[in-house]
Amino acid sequence: MGSRVEILNDGGFRSDGRRQYELRDITIDLSPQGVADGSAILTHGLTQVLVSVFGPREAKMRSQTMHDRANINVEVAMAAFSTGERRKRSRGDKRILEMAATIKSTFEPVVQTSLYPRSQIDIFVQVLQQDGGLLQACINATTLALANAGIPLLDFVCAVTGGVHSTSPMLDLTLLEENDIPHVTVAVMPKTDKVTLVTMETRLHVERFEEIFRLAGQAGKVIHGEIKRAIRERTERLVTSMGSSTRVHGGEDDAMNEY
Amino acid sequence: MSSSISTSKAEISYIQAGLLSDPPLRADGRGLHDFRAINLETGVAPLANGSAHLSIGKNPHGGGGGTEILAAAKLEVEDVDGRGEGVNGGRIVCAVSCSPSAYPHLSSSALDDLQQDMSTLLHQTLSHPSLHPPNLSIIPNKKSWLLNLDCVVLADAGNTYDALFMAARAALWDCKVPRTRAVEYKAPSNAPGAKVLESGEMDVDETAGDSAANQSGFDTRSIARAVDFELPDYWDEGEVLGGRDRWPVCVTMNAVAPAPASTSKTPWVHYLDAILQEEAATPLRLLLVFSFPPNSIPNLQAMRVLGSGELETAQIRDSVSSGEKFAQKMWDALNAKLKEEDLRRGQKARDRFARR
Repeated sequence: MGSRVEILNDGGFRSDGRRQYELRDITIDLSPQGVADGSAILTHGLTQVLVSVFGPREAKMRSQTMHDRANINVEVAMAAFSTGERRKRSRGDKRILEMAATIKSTFEPVVQTSLYPRSQIDIFVQVLQQDGGLLQACINATTLALANAGIPLLDFVCAVTGGVHSTSPMLDLTLLEENDIPHVTVAVMPKTDKVTLVTMETRLHVERFEEIFRLAGQAGKVIHGEIKRAIRERTERLVTSMGSSTRVHGGEDDAMNEY
Repeated sequence: MSSSISTSKAEISYIQAGLLSDPPLRADGRGLHDFRAINLETGVAPLANGSAHLSIGKNPHGGGGGTEILAAAKLEVEDVDGRGEGVNGGRIVCAVSCSPSAYPHLSSSALDDLQQDMSTLLHQTLSHPSLHPPNLSIIPNKKSWLLNLDCVVLADAGNTYDALFMAARAALWDCKVPRTRAVEYKAPSNAPGAKVLESGEMDVDETAGDSAANQSGFDTRSIARAVDFELPDYWDEGEVLGGRDRWPVCVTMNAVAPAPASTSKTPWVHYLDAILQEEAATPLRLLLVFSFPPNSIPNLQAMRVLGSGELETAQIRDSVSSGEKFAQKMWDALNAKLKEEDLRRGQKARDRFARR
């Protein structure tokens, strides 16, 4: 593999064949996992993340409860085989703790914790495959899992990464691109256009930042559309099989409604 | 063994009475030696050399519940000559990690203890020399493969050990070792003072690296000059991991003590595939890990007694022989499924392509 891979070639194509502003394939699986109250498996291209939510339930550690709100506890685990090079990351790894703290601070203002005083909401993130956009995938999957668990949220939180290659902005970066160009992760609440997370660890010129920030906000809305569609589909199916709505897909469920 | 759920005395006695009754009664109507439905899929982690996702008792059609294990085998290159930790012939290291979503009631230190217990058992059994695969060496005494088997427990609904060993066997069955070719470096052959041939003299062949003058005709050593290796085909997945017919399966025989009131010497009752409540009610269990190499007698690779209680020697002997029969059935069923998975993923076509 001799030749250097181009981030953005003259024809406007990126290393994986996408266009500049094109997002990767999103697949969402909302089927129940284990005994979790809510769960979601989300993939952005080759990045796959499984999030399980437990709660609101009685807190394991009384010391961390708050008298007027629920406590949100986030734990992130990365499978050792999630990257190309195997690396075993312990639970106390600094990068992992930082990611967990970031996810927690992103969702603190969004989850309506004041409805559940003295209780705990646990969010367990399991990274199955990594190919860039990890924080973005974790946040989107957490939104889905929280909605699946029926925990009241003020709004969805949709995250996307954006980067700049010389002067061309790009969205939804893969690992190859993340290692090469400066990038920022933005999480927005689409209905109110509020931003709940902006994080950047590379150096980006101030003149480029505004453009990429604005673009990422718009891309967040696109992801919101996907997330909303997935949740609506699942809820429709559940409601239909519970038999408590007018039949949406024709008469096959007639037999099920005869108790 | 920490039980991950709490049960009341009444529930414990109810479960035990059900198991000891005639006919035996279990919560889901199974017989004593019936397993829940097992689902297996191989090749789930594309970045790993071999992987498998196994679940026992998961509700069908996208339901939840059940015990779920994700296992992946990944190979890395190690130096053997003292600098690295490699061993001539390669080595295997197994690790189990328990997801907190599988054990929502356990604290993180209890979770660490549990995964340490599971890792130790898996590692001690699978890294044993009797199961060592023959094709993990790259360049003898220089480079070898380190096989890392990582298992993640995503959900636990009882019978985790059986699931772990089955998933490990499936991932190792699926594992492909990339084909390597040894490479040696040759110095350029215009050595200073090369002989000038006079007419009529014999033209002596120069051997690689040595001038003819230094090489004695009596020197019959064959020194391996390979210092590095390369992958002849970057896209080739490789050949299958050797000795894959030997990877063992585990049978957990849970033991229920007969009621103390019975005067006759009723034997202990053994049952398979316990759910969480049954495991809490009957903590004493016997783990038997069997390997059935083809054309050979079965081997008992590992045995553990877990939980509080005592078993008599005669009981253990009987349990081992009946456990072997159950393990044989598990083995045959698992092999059939692995072949089916290979078929589904077109393994034959890939092998033919690799050998093109």
